[in-house]
Amino acid sequence: MASADGGAYSYSLTVFSPSGKLVQIEHALAAVSQGTTSLGIKASNGIVIATEKKSSSILIDDSVIEKVAVVCPNIGIVYSGMGPDFRILVTRARKSAQSYWKIHGEYPPTKVLTQEIATIMQQATQSGGVRPYGVSLLVAGWDVTRGPSLYQVDPSGSFWAWKASAIGRNMINAKTFLEKRYNDDISLEDAIHTALLTLKEGFEGQMTEKTIEIGVITVPTQTELEAGKVEGTGRYKPTFRKLTEEEVRDYLAL
Amino acid sequence: MSIMEYNGGSVIAMVGKDCVAIASDLRLGVQSLSISSNFQKIFPVTDRIYVGLPGLASDVTTLHEQFRYRVNMYTIKEEREIEPQTFAQMVSSTLYERRFGPYFIEPVIAGMQRTPSGSYEPFIAATDLIGCLNFAKDFVVAGTASSELFGAAEGLWEPDLEAEDLFETISQTLLNAVDRDTFSGWGAVVHVMTKDKVITRTLKGRMD
Amino acid sequence: MECSFAITGKGYVIVAADTTAAHSIIKVKLDEDKIKTLSPHLLMAYSGEPGDTVQFAEYIERNIRLYQIRNTYPLRPSSAASWIRRALADSLRSRKPYSVNLLLGGYDTSTYTPHLYWIDYLGTLTEVPFGAHGYGSYFALSLLDRYHDPEASLEEGLATLKRCIDEVSKRLLVAPGRYKVKVVDKDGVREVEI
Repeated sequence: MASADGGAYSYSLTVFSPSGKLVQIEHALAAVSQGTTSLGIKASNGIVIATEKKSSSILIDDSVIEKVAVVCPNIGIVYSGMGPDFRILVTRARKSAQSYWKIHGEYPPTKVLTQEIATIMQQATQSGGVRPYGVSLLVAGWDVTRGPSLYQVDPSGSFWAWKASAIGRNMINAKTFLEKRYNDDISLEDAIHTALLTLKEGFEGQMTEKTIEIGVITVPTQTELEAGKVEGTGRYKPTFRKLTEEEVRDYLAL
Repeated sequence: MSIMEYNGGSVIAMVGKDCVAIASDLRLGVQSLSISSNFQKIFPVTDRIYVGLPGLASDVTTLHEQFRYRVNMYTIKEEREIEPQTFAQMVSSTLYERRFGPYFIEPVIAGMQRTPSGSYEPFIAATDLIGCLNFAKDFVVAGTASSELFGAAEGLWEPDLEAEDLFETISQTLLNAVDRDTFSGWGAVVHVMTKDKVITRTLKGRMD
Repeated sequence: MECSFAITGKGYVIVAADTTAAHSIIKVKLDEDKIKTLSPHLLMAYSGEPGDTVQFAEYIERNIRLYQIRNTYPLRPSSAASWIRRALADSLRSRKPYSVNLLLGGYDTSTYTPHLYWIDYLGTLTEVPFGAHGYGSYFALSLLDRYHDPEASLEEGLATLKRCIDEVSKRLLVAPGRYKVKVVDKDGVREVEI
């Protein structure tokens, strides 16, 4: 007979428990809530996604750790939970974005890419010999049809659009904090500050440019859109970018 | 005997001022024997896109069905209508998928593309049978009468034609070009598209 | 050599095909039926590579029948034509394509209209008022350009068909001797003598 909590139903993730639960997925969510806090806020002219980056030893070279990832020029993601699982999903998402580009000559809208990632995560809850991904994601992107959008994807493969959300440790507190601070016409600059303040709430130790990662979507202006591709590069100006350590330091100083 | 010339048929598309036109003949033949004078080679894709598929008649139907399938899937998945530019990319990648056993079709695409400011601008493109895109600012031609069409269009087309004038220009270009081609003709169909409507006319040519 | 013709008229389609089965220069059979009844209101004349023809026609016949068993109702002529075309188009790009040309005549019982489709072994499909396959088509098509009337009665239609057959018999060096003629209209399929 199997162990305490899930009983016989905790081993095979493709088997429902009599109460209608897939226990392995709940365990995956537990793994997420042990991960570091990440959050995202949609502003009137952009989106910010941020996370804390803590290393277990001072000997680790933390300049190489990447928790906010660029998927394609208009989409970035951040995670809470298991780093290695995230790395796999980032690779899959990037490949998906490129194969979309190969067919349509443009990068996918945020919803389509989110759906693609969610499908990958859902498949891990229904296939044999695998376990669910131990991560929740925040996907921030911009596209012509829907403008800026922020999605959360869970290990079960379900996803929702948010105006602001937090995942990982302290997510309950962080969300309550965001609910108090959020309003619909917040600017991107204010959103970045709110993001930092929210992270500060549950932060252990010093918040520095080394322990914080930020990514932003900047909504292109009408003039930028009409200008089209950037002279010389033959590409559109990216709408998602990661803030440099200098930029993060400046925001922290304010 | 070339497969591209087995059934005959030609398509042309032209840009005008805030409008675009696409036209084709209506013949279906088996080499020099004519079978049908009502074989459509131009198909609507959305309210603002038409695609012309001159070449092997079997592949005209196969590709039309293929594009209809892909565009429907796109519309459902993305919850939006496909834009001409994106559709052109889709045509190109569909054809290149069969790089070493191609469909014998040289598609022509015409549509009104939405701009960032919310207005519409004319869009035309053509590809070869393996999907090499050609975005032109004036006109594109394809099919068995392509050389005749090039000559006629080069002489008749001018920039910024209004919808009615563009209709006259594309009709005369097509009719006169197909009269010099054995494999094209037997009537024609012309679509002229502006931002809010499409006018379709069927023309009689020399029916011999 | 093989010849098949079909013409539409007021509420009917007439389909005719020669009845010769040949091996090289030898006639081996003179009463071969090359027109299959696919469903109560659908006829298909087939010609082409011996062997392929019967194999393919039976494959189509069984699948159309299967559809009717599964869904109670048979496919409409336009849908059947589309499905058959796809079978040929897929076959064309396979290792061993079928060499079969078809004339598909049907009566659509939901719109009360006759339909005739010209289909060749490449998977070319087009709806026509009249059509033909084989060497006979070079004579019959020009004759039908002159004499075909979409509003003609069945008697007039059969007379026009007779002209085609007579013309082919008179001018074509390798003309077939006998034809089987079938009609499809609102009452279904039947064979007629000419």
